[in-house]
Amino acid sequence: MTTATPNLSLPATSGAYADGAQLPKTVKVGGLNHFFGDGEQRTQALFDNNLEVRRGEIVIMTGPSGSGKTTLLTLIGTLRTVCEGSLQVLGNELNGASRDDINHIRRDMGFIFQAHNLFESLTAFQNVNMAAELQGISRKAAKERIEYLLTRLDLGHRIHYKPNSLSGGQKQRVAIARGLVHRPKLILADEPTAALDEKTGREVVTLFQEMAKDEGCTVIMVTHDNRILDVADRIVNMVQGHIRSDVAVVEASVICEFLRQYPLFAELTPNTLTDMADKMMVRQSEPGEVVIRQNDPGDLFYLIRAGHVEVIVEEAGKSEKVAELGQGQFFGEAALITKKPRNATVIATEETTFYTLGQEDFQAVLDQSKTFESELRSVLAGRT
Amino acid sequence: MKTPLAWKNLVHNKVRTAVALAGVGFAVILIFMQMGFKGAVKKTATQIYDALEFDLMLRSPTYLHLTDPRTFPRERIYQAASLPGVEASRPFYLGLTEWQAPQPPDAKLGDWQGEWRGIICMGTDPADPAFRPAEIREKVKNLTDSSFLLIDRKSKSDFGPSNGERFGELDIGVKTVLGRERFQIVDTFELGTGLAANGACLTNPNGFAKACYWQPLQQVNLGLVTLTPGADIHQVQNAIQQLLGPVQLEGPPTATPADVEVLTRDEVRVREEKRWVKETPLGFIFEIGVYVALFVGVAIVYQVLSTDIANMMGEYATLKAMGYTNGYLTSVVLQQSVLLALVGYVPSILISWALYYIVSSASGMPMAMTWQIASIVLGLAILMCVLSGLAALRKLFQADPADLF
Repeated sequence: MTTATPNLSLPATSGAYADGAQLPKTVKVGGLNHFFGDGEQRTQALFDNNLEVRRGEIVIMTGPSGSGKTTLLTLIGTLRTVCEGSLQVLGNELNGASRDDINHIRRDMGFIFQAHNLFESLTAFQNVNMAAELQGISRKAAKERIEYLLTRLDLGHRIHYKPNSLSGGQKQRVAIARGLVHRPKLILADEPTAALDEKTGREVVTLFQEMAKDEGCTVIMVTHDNRILDVADRIVNMVQGHIRSDVAVVEASVICEFLRQYPLFAELTPNTLTDMADKMMVRQSEPGEVVIRQNDPGDLFYLIRAGHVEVIVEEAGKSEKVAELGQGQFFGEAALITKKPRNATVIATEETTFYTLGQEDFQAVLDQSKTFESELRSVLAGRT
Repeated sequence: MKTPLAWKNLVHNKVRTAVALAGVGFAVILIFMQMGFKGAVKKTATQIYDALEFDLMLRSPTYLHLTDPRTFPRERIYQAASLPGVEASRPFYLGLTEWQAPQPPDAKLGDWQGEWRGIICMGTDPADPAFRPAEIREKVKNLTDSSFLLIDRKSKSDFGPSNGERFGELDIGVKTVLGRERFQIVDTFELGTGLAANGACLTNPNGFAKACYWQPLQQVNLGLVTLTPGADIHQVQNAIQQLLGPVQLEGPPTATPADVEVLTRDEVRVREEKRWVKETPLGFIFEIGVYVALFVGVAIVYQVLSTDIANMMGEYATLKAMGYTNGYLTSVVLQQSVLLALVGYVPSILISWALYYIVSSASGMPMAMTWQIASIVLGLAILMCVLSGLAALRKLFQADPADLF
């Protein structure tokens, strides 16, 4: 038997292990640093950014202005040259990619900028068609698709208008149609709804959702618009060039749901639960691996995300299996609370994924609730 | 059919395009004028020779240019005539002398002091003229007396035509002074002198001897040799040169120093053009003028095109972000440049044509719109626009799209 070691340092809420089988990653950011300027003027804009975005995910990036959201977005969009670190988009490493590769990748992406950048000399239709033409879409298909999109975006009556006879919001919607017309695999949008009213803004994110669901299109969106946060599968919060949190919304709520089932955690506010979820890390064990060993000092709290374990208590040289735990159940809390060594050994019976919480963070959660400790003690009392 | 973006951009913003066209047009007209001036200098060098009938020319090795041709002994011409392959060998006299503007018919005796002007005087045999134009060949027959002359209608008005503008019918019979003897105008002809002199006249050899009284008739300026059909021009050229002694401008003198150089028509033209275009200040000024005009043109067109591209930087960067290649963007800008060049060129050539006419009738400079000039300027106009367009695109090529929005 081998001792389980923390083999991964991914946050539990990243959602990376939520579904067991690994879905392909549309975007993989690893140790990415970015700098602006040269020599004395050189300033660092991004610090060791790590991020993974799965196919079909809708990611919203938030954070104060100047936090590096747009910089990261444009880096992913190949609109800036990668300085340092790894950045993989649609299976291509961008650091050091050739100009031809970059041009190729760009055709699989749809970019929606803050500035609409429409050609004044072309009509709404022709502007959108510039993106369709590049992909070699047939004229007929392109025409149908453009008319469909513009109509969906409430511009059906403005298809052949030039930008100078459109309002700001209408221009923005033409630019959105241009970003979607070629069914990109990755949509990058910088404040796409900023110039739109609630109704059209909602229509835009609904379109994004449809494309994500129906075509497996991945969407990464920078926005300050709280009205559309609900469409996010993942919310990435950036502060001063650091990714402060990267939360898979669904996964965070899954964790909260698991915990809430137990009287021990039931009284915690959603905020505390979410904080707890945020601080959990992923850990995996092979079948037969010892997760914790009786009489070792306790350091982690475990929640089983997937798989099964056996709890074995050794007494007077005799091993006795006292419990079998599965998905959604937890263990390891006793040693943290009582500050005593582990009172049992836990062995994975199959490939198992845990979400773990360190002693300090666990203690912080305990401090949130006055009743928590007594609850916990009674739970513990009940178990032994 | 791809969206004709270049065309749409040009048509959409009519004011901007009009400004761009004005810039291109201005540059093109500048180049046209300088080319025209340069052409006039070239033409000065060749238009009299173009009117003369010859295959080979004999002239003094010390010949400088048209109006300073120097002389050589007349016997050389008759010697050359003795060789096989030579059909005719004619003497031709040409010199600068002075002309007194004739007295107008209504001038009172005593208050007219005719102005003196420098004039080109050419002497040729009326019975066997060395000219090609039919009009001159015909009218030269009137030079039956050594006091008769023909005056070039292209001579400037200060040579004293009776209508104050141009010599014509009215001037026939008018008497004036050429050199230091009285002559009578018996008819007019048209040839033109370019920048070498402001007027020209034709006499017979004896008349020439009177007009250019310092030059004896035994000393001629040019010998004009025509060949029999089928004769090899270079063989005859060598034969004449051998007969008259090789030209020697350097080294120790030979026993019979050559006093004649034999040249083909092409050699004459090339040397004369080089002399006028490269070695006279006038030619040099206009040569430089072409470059200056081109430089100014590039500056104007670059300014116009780069402003245009800068205004649309965000849009072009968006195209780049979509995955359009630099090649596509280049082709859009180049199409736009070439369209500007072509559309700017058409009115410019018409305006230049008019300006050529005005300048040549006002100054007597023989400015002519030739196919050569028209096509060279078209080429330069396109080159100018294309270079400016590419220079203006540099920023788009170098920068990351994100920095251009």
